[in-house]
Parts: sequence; structure tokens; C-alpha cells
Amino acid sequence: MNFAHHALPNVLEAQQLRRSFGTTIALDAVDLSVAPGEALAIMGPSGSGKSTLLHALAGIETPDAGSVMLQLPGRTPVDITTLSDTARSALRRESFGFVFQDGLLIPELTAQENVAMALMINGVPRAAALPRAVQALGQLGLGGMEERRIGQLSGGQAQRVAIARAQIGSAAVIFADEPTGALDSVTGSEVLDALLGSTIRQGKSLVMVTHDESVAARCDRIVRLRDGRIVADERSNQGERA
Amino acid sequence: MNTLQLAWMLTRAGGGQRRVRALTLGAYAVVSALVLIVVAGALSFTRLPEETAAFYLPLAGIAVVLLIVPLVLVGASAARLSARSQDRTLSTLRLLGATGGQVRAISVLQSVGTAALGALGGVLLYLACAPLVALVNFQGAPIGAGIFAPLPVLLAVLAAVLLLAAGSSLAGLRKLVISPLAVRQRVNVPRPSWVRAVLGVAGIALVYGLFSSLGAVAQSIAMMVAMLMMGLGTGLLVLNLIGPWMISVIGRRKLATAQSPEQLLASRMILESPKAIWRQVAPLAMAAFVAVVGGSGAALMNQGAPEPTGGWEDYISGDMLTGVLLTLAIIFLCVAASTAITQAAGTLDAAELYQGLGKMGLTSKTMNRARVQAVMIPALGAALIFAVGSGVLLLPLVGIAMIMAPLSLAMVVLTCVAGLVLVRLAVQLAAPSRMLTR
Repeated sequence: MNFAHHALPNVLEAQQLRRSFGTTIALDAVDLSVAPGEALAIMGPSGSGKSTLLHALAGIETPDAGSVMLQLPGRTPVDITTLSDTARSALRRESFGFVFQDGLLIPELTAQENVAMALMINGVPRAAALPRAVQALGQLGLGGMEERRIGQLSGGQAQRVAIARAQIGSAAVIFADEPTGALDSVTGSEVLDALLGSTIRQGKSLVMVTHDESVAARCDRIVRLRDGRIVADERSNQGERA
Repeated sequence: MNTLQLAWMLTRAGGGQRRVRALTLGAYAVVSALVLIVVAGALSFTRLPEETAAFYLPLAGIAVVLLIVPLVLVGASAARLSARSQDRTLSTLRLLGATGGQVRAISVLQSVGTAALGALGGVLLYLACAPLVALVNFQGAPIGAGIFAPLPVLLAVLAAVLLLAAGSSLAGLRKLVISPLAVRQRVNVPRPSWVRAVLGVAGIALVYGLFSSLGAVAQSIAMMVAMLMMGLGTGLLVLNLIGPWMISVIGRRKLATAQSPEQLLASRMILESPKAIWRQVAPLAMAAFVAVVGGSGAALMNQGAPEPTGGWEDYISGDMLTGVLLTLAIIFLCVAASTAITQAAGTLDAAELYQGLGKMGLTSKTMNRARVQAVMIPALGAALIFAVGSGVLLLPLVGIAMIMAPLSLAMVVLTCVAGLVLVRLAVQLAAPSRMLTR
């Protein structure tokens, strides 16, 4: 495997993450790092703590204990867990991109407006954001569909709009929570092609929660969770760059 | 398990559902209380001497006609929210094999049950407010015991509220019964045609002609009232023709100039359904019309009143101003209530989206600002356009009132401003940060 970016420090470095909900332990002393440009799959049975781990790494939830260091080139490393809610929101807008199972696109907006919104929220003027959105959609095979509203797109097309939205900004890490979970196998595979291909091409890291072994196998690395603990951390032989 | 038992079982609501039910109950209570106050207030004029009643009753009738639309609006919004909150459960029941008839029956039973509880709360609210409303003066004396509606009226109002709930519930269910999946995917954006504007202008010309020839054509008070009613009816029709088109124009202009994320979102929310937005703000346009016409009229009558004669005529101008202010206040209360319900329903519908966008770092403040703009821009637009429009149509009357009785006119303007502030507060009630808990 050729991981050109791995000489750089890890973009995310989580140490001793603990999180419990009542008596249920969701994360139990989890250590995990994500290298720049790496595609990492998090797998495990329901309730194993996959989504909680993704939420902790992305600063959506604050763990009960432990740290998550974000190290971006040219920026001072920051422990996400110590940031205020507002600062974490800003960080998620600027440094991370998200793709969820149901896309979570704004139904009132067109495809290009949904993508442009990610830039506009970070202060890019509308006139500059829209052409960039059109370009991003074109790269994901959605040329000519820019003016369509979300209800006019198929599930796979809508998910590609969500991918374009996640990738259009300066996000260093893309978090995907079951991005193909709601799609049939053929469409899911196409969406995965789009997600992995464009993420790796742009040198971004990908952290993806999935139930699907075949989806996980296409990532560089697979981390398996059980009862809030990492039980396996292995390199994938079929990863996109294997 | 029979339908009645199933309906009762489904009544036990969870967290989000409880908030919806509280809102629906509150809305039914407000609308029932207001209808009772309006009807009882209008009926209290029957206690006046015959000659005085003959003057006051038609005016009260006009006020009641004007108030029907906003009152029905609140009732319908509550019914829609109640029906929408059952959508998912009823859709599942349908998929499990429940017949269309069973689903209909459950929905109607639940909606009517909620409406009945709300209406009973409304009666209590009405009884609590009655002593205060009884202090309002007409003909130099407080309304007093006249504000208490006779039992048949009270029962009729309750029945009307229940009917409205049942009707709206059935209307909302049509799609669900046809397709068990009850897909609510929004595909096409309706764009109101310019033909509406053309028909609207023709309607305005008709209303203008009707009102200008009032003095010449009307031979009796009855004929004058009939013409006034016809004019008002046509006016309302015109409002409904022009309204959605006007909202769509406002939305398109806003979209063309939108720079910030919230402006872009707000304009798209407006364009999503100009008709629905119009339904929400239409009473404000009506309020603007009442404020300009009624306010100027009352102000001028006050100014031009002859020396007091000691007769009932001495009170006309003051009473007209009271009537106008009361009508405006009730319209604004209705709009605020219906806005709160509609917005709450929208927020609950989009709960998953709001929470997801929050995860992405899009703060609820941005979404809230967009929601506020999506309501307040059409609201202010409707109020201003129709206030200016009515002012232009009745320029001489308004002009004289502005010069001769600025204080009375200022009172009307202040009531309108207070009303719009109330609507703004109602939007805030349904803020995602308030309605949704992660």
C-alpha cells in the first residue's frame, strides 16, 4: 500500500475515549488515529458504539473522558473535547464534512443551492459559491441536475449531492454514517465509488460507519468495535489504494 | 380490538407528540374562546333599543364576517397539525392492513376528541376573560352581562369547532387512504399564475365601483348593508386571488437578491408554497384594510361629529373606533395563534433535518433566522401592500383623516404594529432550539 500522506501527523488522534449513557457503556477507553488521506471504516454490531465514536471524533458529542486532537497542516493542534459548543459547531462547519444515511438535504433548495450552502455558511458569497457547487456536482456525475429540487432526484443522486456538499469546503475529514444504508446494492456501490474516489482524490480523510462488510472492505483500514471497545484494527486488502 | 379502543390506545402520546397535542389543545381553546367572545359581543347589540340596534347590528355583522376567515384559519391550522401528527402512526396501521374506513374513523375520533377537550378549555378561557371584555364600553355603558352567550349559542360554537376538526382531519387523510405509504415528497413548486393578478385588478375595479356608487344606488340601510357585504365578499375573493401571486413575486424578488444562507433559505421557503404562506398572512392584509378604512372612517366621524345631542348618535364615532380596534386585536391574535401552530408543525416535521444540520455545524440560529424571515417578510409585505393599496383607493378619506384626526389614526397604526410584534413572537415560540431537544 502506498500511503503518501502518512509521513504527516495524524489528522485525528483520539485517546482513552469514554462515554456512557446511564448504565450503558458506549465507549470504553478507545484509542484511535486517522491519517491524512486515509479511508477508515468503523464496523460493529448494533449498540457497539460506532455512531458514538463517530460523533465524538467529529465533535458532535463530548465524551465523558479522553481527548480528540485535531491536527491540520499549518494550524495549532486542538483538543476538540475542550471546545465550547459554539466553537465545535464552527469547527464542524469549517474542517469537517458529513454524509448521513438519509442525506439530510434541505428539500426547499435546489441541488446546487444545497451544495453552495456549505460554502455560504462559511462566508463565501453566493455568486462565488454557486459556480463552485455546479462544478462539484459535475464531478460527481450530476451535471445538468443543478436546478433540480431534492424531491426530483433519485436516492443515489440525492446522496451524491450530500457528498458534494460534504466535500466542497475546506473539510479535512469527511464523516459518513451508513452513507449507503438506504440504497440498493447497485446504487450503493455507485455512491461509494463517488464518496471514496472523490475523497481520496482531494486528499481528505474519510471516517465511515457501516454495517456492510463489502463497503468496509473498500476502505484502507477497518476498525471493529464491540461493547464500546476496539476489538480489531486491520488494514484492508481491497482498499481503493491497495 | 375495535376502532374505538385502537383510537384510545393511540391517544397515549410520547414526548414530541405531547408538545403537538398541547399546541393543538391551546389553539382550539383560543379559537373557541374568541368565537364565543365575538358572537356574544355581536349579540349583545340586540339588547340595545331598536333604532340603535338597527345601526349597530349590521356593523357587528360586518366585523363577524371579517373575523370568520382568521378564526377558521386558526381552527384549520390546529386540525391540520392534529392530523399531521397522526400521519406516521396511521400510515403504519394502513400498511398493517387497517382499512381506509378504520383509518378514517381513528383519525376523526382522535381529532374530534382533541378538539372537544380544547373547546371545553376554550369555554373556561372565555368565562375567565368575560369579566374583562364586559368592561368594554358601547353606547356609553359597559357590555356587562351581555358578553355571556346564551347556552344554545355556546353549544352551536362547540359543535362548529368539532365539525371543523372532523372536516380538516378527513381532508388531510385523503392521500393517506389512497396510498398507504403517504409519501409527502415535495416535487414541484407551484407557481401562481399572473392571471390571478389580472382577475384581481378586475375585482378591485368592481369593489371600487360598488363602494363609489353606494350613496347613489342604495335606497335603504338594508340595501346599503347588502352592498357593503357584497363589496367585502368580493374584496376577500380579490385578496385570495392576488395574495398567492403577490407572495410568489415577493419570494422571487427575495431569491434574486439573497446573499446570506438565511436569505436564500427564507426565499425558497416562501416559494415552496405561496398559497400556504398566503393563507397564513391573509388576515393581516385584511387587518390592513380594516385599519385603513375603518380607522379613517371612525377618526373622521369623531372629528366631524356635531354637538352632542344626548342621543345614541353621540357614541357612534367612539364606538366605531372601539370596534375597529377590537376587530384588529382579534385578527392579530388569530394570526399569531395560527402562525405559532403552523410553524411548530413545520419545525416538528423537519426535526430530523434540523438535528442533522446541527451535527454539520449549521446552528439552529441560522435556520431560525430563515424561518423568521420566511414568515415576517410576507407578513410585512401583505400588511404594507394592502395598507398602501387601501389608502390609495380611499385617498381622500385617508388624507383628511391624517390631517384632521392624527391621534385616532395613530392608535390604529400602533395596534397594527403591536399585532405584527405579536406575530413575530409567535414565530419565536416554534424556534427549533425551543421545540426540539437533542
